[in-house]
Amino acid sequence: MKKNLLSIILAVIAVIAIVFCFVFNGQKGDLEQKVKDLESQIETLKADAAKVAEDAAKAAEDAAKAAEEAAKAAEEEAARKAEEEAAKAAQELPTITIMFHGSNVSDDSAVLAKVNEYIADKVGAKLEVIWGTWGDFDEKAVNALTSVDKDVDIVFTCSWSADEYNSYAKKGYFLKLDDLIEQYGADLKAAIPESLMQAATIDGAEGKGIYAVNGFKDTATQNTWDVNVTLLNELGYTVDDLKAKGFFGWDEIFAKAKEVKGDSFYPFLVEPMVAERMVTNSIIVAGDAGSTNLLSLYLNPEDVSADGAYGNKLLNKFATDEYKAFANQMHKYYDAGYIDPALSVAETSNDARTNHQKDASYLIGTQSYAFGYEYSADVLARGAEIQFVPCTDPYVDTTASQGAMMAINSASEHPEEAFKFLALLNSDPVLMTLMNYGVEGIHYTLNDDGLVVFNADARATYSPWTNGVGNVTILPDTADEGKGFRESFKAYYAGAKGIPSLGFVFDNTPVENEMAALGNVAAQYALALDCGAVDPETELPAFLSALDAAGMQAYLDEANAQLEAYLAK
Amino acid sequence: MTVINRSVQKKMKAGSFTLNRFGTGTQAAFHVLLALFSLMCIIPFIFVIIIAFSSEESIRQVGYSFTPVSWSTQAFTYTFRLGDALWRSYFNSFLITIVGTVLSVSLTVLYAYPLFRRDYRYRGFFNFLSFFTMIFGGGLVPTFVICKSVLGLSDNYAALIVPMLFSPFNVIIMRTFLQTTVPTELIEAATIDGSGEYSTLVRIVLPVVKPGIATIALLVSLAYWNEWFLSLLYLNKNMDIMPLQYLLMRMQRNADFLAKNSSMLGVDAAKAAAQLPSQSLKMALVVFIVIPIACAYPFFQRYVIAGLTIGSVKG
Amino acid sequence: MTTIQTAVPKRHRSFGSITARKKTFWLTTMMLPGAVWLLLIRYLPMFGIVIAFKNYHAFRPNTFWNNIVRSEWVGLKNFEFLKSPDTGIMIRNTLGYNILWILLGLVISVAFAIMMSELSTRFLAKSYQTMMFFPYFLSWVVASYFVLAFLDPTSGMIPFMQKAAGQKVTNFYHDTTWWPLILTICNLWKNLGYSSVLYLAAITGIDTTQYEAAAVDGATKWQQIWHVTLPGIRPMIVILLIMNVGKIFNADFGLFYNVPQNSGSLYPVTQVVDTYVYRAYANTHNLGMSSAAGFLQSAIGLICIIGANTLVRRIDPESSLF
Repeated sequence: MKKNLLSIILAVIAVIAIVFCFVFNGQKGDLEQKVKDLESQIETLKADAAKVAEDAAKAAEDAAKAAEEAAKAAEEEAARKAEEEAAKAAQELPTITIMFHGSNVSDDSAVLAKVNEYIADKVGAKLEVIWGTWGDFDEKAVNALTSVDKDVDIVFTCSWSADEYNSYAKKGYFLKLDDLIEQYGADLKAAIPESLMQAATIDGAEGKGIYAVNGFKDTATQNTWDVNVTLLNELGYTVDDLKAKGFFGWDEIFAKAKEVKGDSFYPFLVEPMVAERMVTNSIIVAGDAGSTNLLSLYLNPEDVSADGAYGNKLLNKFATDEYKAFANQMHKYYDAGYIDPALSVAETSNDARTNHQKDASYLIGTQSYAFGYEYSADVLARGAEIQFVPCTDPYVDTTASQGAMMAINSASEHPEEAFKFLALLNSDPVLMTLMNYGVEGIHYTLNDDGLVVFNADARATYSPWTNGVGNVTILPDTADEGKGFRESFKAYYAGAKGIPSLGFVFDNTPVENEMAALGNVAAQYALALDCGAVDPETELPAFLSALDAAGMQAYLDEANAQLEAYLAK
Repeated sequence: MTVINRSVQKKMKAGSFTLNRFGTGTQAAFHVLLALFSLMCIIPFIFVIIIAFSSEESIRQVGYSFTPVSWSTQAFTYTFRLGDALWRSYFNSFLITIVGTVLSVSLTVLYAYPLFRRDYRYRGFFNFLSFFTMIFGGGLVPTFVICKSVLGLSDNYAALIVPMLFSPFNVIIMRTFLQTTVPTELIEAATIDGSGEYSTLVRIVLPVVKPGIATIALLVSLAYWNEWFLSLLYLNKNMDIMPLQYLLMRMQRNADFLAKNSSMLGVDAAKAAAQLPSQSLKMALVVFIVIPIACAYPFFQRYVIAGLTIGSVKG
Repeated sequence: MTTIQTAVPKRHRSFGSITARKKTFWLTTMMLPGAVWLLLIRYLPMFGIVIAFKNYHAFRPNTFWNNIVRSEWVGLKNFEFLKSPDTGIMIRNTLGYNILWILLGLVISVAFAIMMSELSTRFLAKSYQTMMFFPYFLSWVVASYFVLAFLDPTSGMIPFMQKAAGQKVTNFYHDTTWWPLILTICNLWKNLGYSSVLYLAAITGIDTTQYEAAAVDGATKWQQIWHVTLPGIRPMIVILLIMNVGKIFNADFGLFYNVPQNSGSLYPVTQVVDTYVYRAYANTHNLGMSSAAGFLQSAIGLICIIGANTLVRRIDPESSLF
């Protein structure tokens, strides 16, 4: 017994010793002295605080902190400069590493060889790439940033990935780029619209500024009904009939479809959360709980830049009359067998949807639209004519305008080179084409019209996610898309209007615990309700009271206070 | 050595005895129970193989069924398109599993043996040193920091082997095996014979504790074979050393992600999502993961788990 | 290592002969590889536990040590996720399932191990063992497809059979009724083979002379099991039991997340501590909260293990863990 006790104590001491070794890594003086010093410091501070007015103390503290940080930054700068010069003297280029999202790349050797040749003078660095894939990026990026992996210089970020732009910038993981843009960013500024620069300007760890280079891609949202026109005509209806009847009046058409196509045919193919936004005209609020949105801001469907029915106020998505009507209607459709039950279960929902889409085994679906769907042979290869019927005009909200960005890790040892590379990538068609489409002659060839024709085999080993790389508007048109595609692309998105509260991001940190609890409650009820799988008569009240118990009111109040403050500015 | 011989002889002699057994009725009941449960254990797998070969058309018509109306190898052709990458990852998996298992079992036995020795002075301390980590850990991120920046575990085979090299759980299991199978007198006798500690361990203890080692080896090799999260964490640029499990998990995770987020990602990603054969692909992936283990298991059964019954007189 | 040498009570040294010291030395060298691994991979990162009590974020210069040192202490704020109204449900589920499964698993796997050791047909015994071990090879993701193949509301076998029979189709993923049973079956299905092999290995290690002696004394087979087999595998039973008790506040994540297909409607019977924290983390990405949850689980586990071990040591000091 005694021996065991001893070993327990020893182990605990060992752990504590190790902890201290690391926490006080590299600091001189013995610990006791340190503790005493700290205590005396606290005493003096206390005394000071009593004497001086609170505001003054704070100001002084802030100033001291700022000075300290400035000194440190200067020190760092000097150290880095010295290192840089040493490296240059050795004629050795530093390596910068970029982490992409969503790529499907198994062989990048040819591309990187070309890229490195091209950027050696222009950037003064060598490039290495971590090809994050769709499924792995979130974990990899969060891990790299929170564990302060200085081997990752540039990392993809946006409003919907796990390394969410606004919160990670606020937590200090991204470098503020304003100075670098001032110094090296003239071309970049010319290539990226001012509105996108604006969208990236936020309150980060180092004050208001730009913390990421915002890629120029599909920056507006437009939700559409994805209609299987072939089948619709076969049933004796037209797209105009659909529009005239509206979401609440499709019973007859669905019944007909069921009659013609048999009992195991499900005409209504919804992505439940998207359907909810389409029917109620609500939009995603940036900074809201990611997995299941809780907040709603209502659009004006006639004019997206005007205030909606509730003005600029955030509401509990599930407590509105709009939601109730939607859920009731969905339940009707579900009960009548118009919706595949697999869509109502979180992990099977998406699979089922993809499968039905692939062989066009649906009549009406939901689709968050991006310009170019009509041109994409793969999307339309469903064996049926597809038409996208929009619910509203395209609108620009915070979520969409922060849809694909590149930030510089604040732990990076080569921020200047990293920025120079980003600026070049987003403004130089040669580099962008190289990174995105590969090497001419290997991955693609140009046809007589000067359009890109991919070499399928080589492209299969090198296909990054186009939008994730950066400014897609400086890419050449592909043969699939046809000549003039980029121009119409730019025109479509330039024509999109901003919503009244564009730029607002909800900072959820003050109500983080509420959000965690609310997110769990919403995940329990929302999908089943959105899909109509459960009866809203009983489930909706249960849901709402569970939300209240989990602190919905506090969450809502905080969000609205922030929105008001934002709009007042 | 004499000691061992005597004990083995004793067991051999015991084997020729016919000990009393359960009656036929009881035996039959045992058989029925065990057989039922065993069937339950493998039927789902057979079911999944059938589904993997079912055509999507059949799944739509009759659902997942033991008797699909039409067959297809579409899901497999999709997987085989990976070509070289698939076979290379198979090789990596085998390499990692074999090296990892050998090292890990050695480490476990070496650590467990002194813990089992009642006359070892620092027994309590080391016991606790290992046990404590079973309960407390630093968490994912700090462990990653240490492994990557202090130990250099990144983009190399070591990164996929070292973090799982040692398991306090296995140490305790091993120690318990030693306690139940190795009589203390055996070691005392060996010590009196003047045998060194290592030689006692290798020549006297190991043969007796074979069943335990076989069990630990099985557990460890399974853990290595099924591991993919380490690859996700530690492999960034050198994808040539990716193990099979990660290759398949990655496809699975990509398919999941694309289906979930297609509304956010624009045309390009929608294209990629449209190309995934997700329903039967999932089942095909399962088959790919399980078949090598199913093949390797008889190997364990014959050469390693055989140890389980060596010392036994029953049956 | 120096701590150990100085801290071990000196009185032992006085009667340590040269052979004894030699023995200690050689045995210690055996421990070293494992001990070094433990120190590097397990103990070094333990400084990270402080994250549970801090508001961790990045500072300038952005290094991990600097961030940990300079992040402000927030006391127990990271533990406030426990204030959620779901807390009661998740604790009930975690503890309830664990206790049930520890007991069921123990009884059934010991029974299976004994049955297998008593079978007269070697070949069949081996086949059972092979098949029963099979599920242990598979991850929960894989197992969840098995379950899905039976229960999928659109194409699953059971709903399809119900449809064919003209019955109302049960949407299993929205109906909590069956899930306690389904989860229990899944858990037993996956783990029984493994734990019975552990017990079987322990049974084969029992000295056979004990059975002979019992047989000579005229003990029936049932009596032999009671008086020889069970006492023989008691250390294994106790150890596994103590270790399971230590994990009583931890749940098998895959079983509760993947197998029910993350279906929200089933949360009342599938929400456990691990899934709750995972879901909360997915929303907030708060490293402090997940560290806090991990710390809490560890602390409770430690208390339970020490409790169980103390109890065992009172009854049977030989079998205790430490």
